[in-house]
Amino acid sequence: MATNGQKRTATVRIQRFNPDVDKKPYIKEYQIQMRQGMTLLDALHEIKTQQDGSVTYRRSCRHAICGSCAMSVNGRNMLVCEQPLKEHVDSQGRVTIKPLPFLPIIKDLVVDRSSFWEQYQRVKPWLMPPDDLPDKEFRVSPEEIKAMHDAEKCIMCGACYSACQVVAMNKQYIGPHALLKAFLRTLDPRDATPAERLDIVSDPNGVWRCHTIFNCIDACPKNLDPTFAIETLRNLAARRLAFEEERRERQKTLDQPVKGA
Amino acid sequence: MFKTTGFISFILRRFTGVVLALYLLLHIWVIGAATQGAEAFNRRMEAVSTPVFHILEILLLAAVIYHAFDGIRLLIINNFRVTDKRKSMWYAAFAIAALLTVVGGLPILFYVLGINF
Repeated sequence: MATNGQKRTATVRIQRFNPDVDKKPYIKEYQIQMRQGMTLLDALHEIKTQQDGSVTYRRSCRHAICGSCAMSVNGRNMLVCEQPLKEHVDSQGRVTIKPLPFLPIIKDLVVDRSSFWEQYQRVKPWLMPPDDLPDKEFRVSPEEIKAMHDAEKCIMCGACYSACQVVAMNKQYIGPHALLKAFLRTLDPRDATPAERLDIVSDPNGVWRCHTIFNCIDACPKNLDPTFAIETLRNLAARRLAFEEERRERQKTLDQPVKGA
Repeated sequence: MFKTTGFISFILRRFTGVVLALYLLLHIWVIGAATQGAEAFNRRMEAVSTPVFHILEILLLAAVIYHAFDGIRLLIINNFRVTDKRKSMWYAAFAIAALLTVVGGLPILFYVLGINF
């Protein structure tokens, strides 16, 4: 394959752990030729297919939408499929890839995400519409969509969850991913139960457990803002019944055309 | 993720919080002596008026000011949508805290060293 300029060798340092053989994780180094446009996932793939078939990692879509390949690269959580290799190698051409931190390792770069999904279930991440559904379609205004701050773009990759220091200390914490989803559903004008949702996130291990460290924002590959979601939920939780009353008023006109739509 | 400003601010905030709680115990120990009369209070006050305690006072001042300004920063983030300014806000809080520590700490240091100005 043609390369631009000099061919470079990269040293990919991968954290290996096989629970059947190893007592604790260790770092193993692999040398690969860097190609133009090579991503970190391409590098892992090349190592797996050409050097060591036992290297284990999760990946699926390769287009930063399935959320399978979140890993810790040089100490930062990211999706390896969208990150160019050459941007993460240091001056000696080294890059260190480890599994998502603070989660139990199943093998090599694969972690057990059970707690991630358990906490996600807690906030009832599905839409709960009113009983008297309108005959016509729901009409939601552009302002109401804007207020959700793109929270629906979350791909559930777990980068924010495992970057969170509170999760590291306390697995009972709901976590930034689930609180972002709770924020999305709470602010959704079609949802009929914002007070119940705010009650769930007001748990001692909910929004009040966040220490505003911002690691979730720094880690998010979709540039979402879980901290803002948590702050919004905190402010709404203080007046949750009044907020539900506003929602009931709003839902009376849910099938009416909205301004600016 | 241990190298982010958020994590550094978190560690400093927790550490200074523990320092302030420990100071409170010491403070009550000294002030509490007032219930045993002026003589006892003066004796205990003397015990904590050594140069070592004056230097510790400067560190206490640093802890109080940092904790206060980091708290103000969190209140601003809590009430306004400024999460995209999180890094510069922490640098600002840290710079103000450092500046005020120098301004407030120098007179204490001069006093300890016996310099009049």
